[in-house]
Amino acid sequence: MFARNKIDNTQVLSSMKAKHQRYEALVKAFHADIFRYAYWLVKDRSVAEDIVQETFLRAWRSLDALNDEKAAKGWLITILRRENARRFERKQLDLVDIDDVFILDDTQQAEGDIKERELHRLLGTLSIEYREPLILQLLFGYSGEEIATQLDLNKNTVMTRLFRARNQLKEALEKQNQLRGQANG
Amino acid sequence: MDELEFRRRIYADPNTTDSDLVAAANADEKKRAFWQEQKAFDNKLKQTLKVDVPEDLASKLIWQQSADEFSRYKKRSRWYVAIAASVAFAVGISFTMLQQQSISLGDHALAHMQYVDVEESHSLLPVDLNMVNAKLASFGASFDTMIDGVEVANYCHLSTVQSLHLIVDTPQGKMSVFVVPSRDNVKIPSEFEDDSFHGESFKMQQANIIVVGNKGSDLSTMKDAVANSIQFSA
Repeated sequence: MFARNKIDNTQVLSSMKAKHQRYEALVKAFHADIFRYAYWLVKDRSVAEDIVQETFLRAWRSLDALNDEKAAKGWLITILRRENARRFERKQLDLVDIDDVFILDDTQQAEGDIKERELHRLLGTLSIEYREPLILQLLFGYSGEEIATQLDLNKNTVMTRLFRARNQLKEALEKQNQLRGQANG
Repeated sequence: MDELEFRRRIYADPNTTDSDLVAAANADEKKRAFWQEQKAFDNKLKQTLKVDVPEDLASKLIWQQSADEFSRYKKRSRWYVAIAASVAFAVGISFTMLQQQSISLGDHALAHMQYVDVEESHSLLPVDLNMVNAKLASFGASFDTMIDGVEVANYCHLSTVQSLHLIVDTPQGKMSVFVVPSRDNVKIPSEFEDDSFHGESFKMQQANIIVVGNKGSDLSTMKDAVANSIQFSA
């Protein structure tokens, strides 16, 4: 009886250790992209960090529910989206996001830097319906079907939104170039 | 495939490998160029999306997991401790309650009578008033005059109550006088008896006096003697 208890204990310990290793592997593999995903959802680094912490805490607590390692990415994204929704239930922040306000900034000198910053700001101005599928596609390499499954949408809807997302970005960039051209001319 | 359809599908997924799109691009240099442009734009977007990740985020996530585990472990053990504490508390309470149940001392006094002979043989020294009073002092009592024939004066416990037990030799045989401090939870029957002894008790200011003698003996003389002699300090 004692011998069996001992075996049970070591099994418990080793399964605990295995769970830790699994969790750490999960963190190492996905924390960067999960953080970026959160950042592009909420457009605020510290809020994104909070959400990521909540997400991984929940992931740890229900790690046993994750049977297939291949599903880990989607699983984490699902938890994160739920956490983000929960945040809105808790508190609806009524702030003006400075990135959403159109400000033409002509003080930037380095051309490459301007492009990067503008693109960053423009991505932020995309509405969430267009932004989220685009992030899933670019950040996680999701296919249209995968995005549709993740966001619980029809695949055609997803493809339309992806098209519109890029189309809006292109148009906005061209418009800005024209404005800058006029201002410089 | 018309221009618009081609653009729509490339915009939706610049990295597509759909064979009809590939064929259309191969057939048309403008389409090919458009596609290349979109791929380049996508790479820029990817660069833009890759915002810096807080350096310590991974270690924070691992640390918060162990903190969570620890606090849950603590909670769990607190839960056990709480149960154990409740059980201990309940046991403690019930013991105290049992102890507080009223005790009837008559039987205890009778039981003590069985040991009178044994007690007597231990006491070699004569008992004088000072010695009895020294022992009575803890009850806040004293005797004015010595009761005749006291052979033994000793503390004894009637159940949980400390009392003074005097064994007195009288013309009617050995009698015992118990001085028992008054306590709320102690009940002393005014008369009690068994096969060989009978006892009577009376209450004074701060103590009960129990007198026990052989069956059939008259206890009133002794009761009077004690009642007259004993004094209680205020």
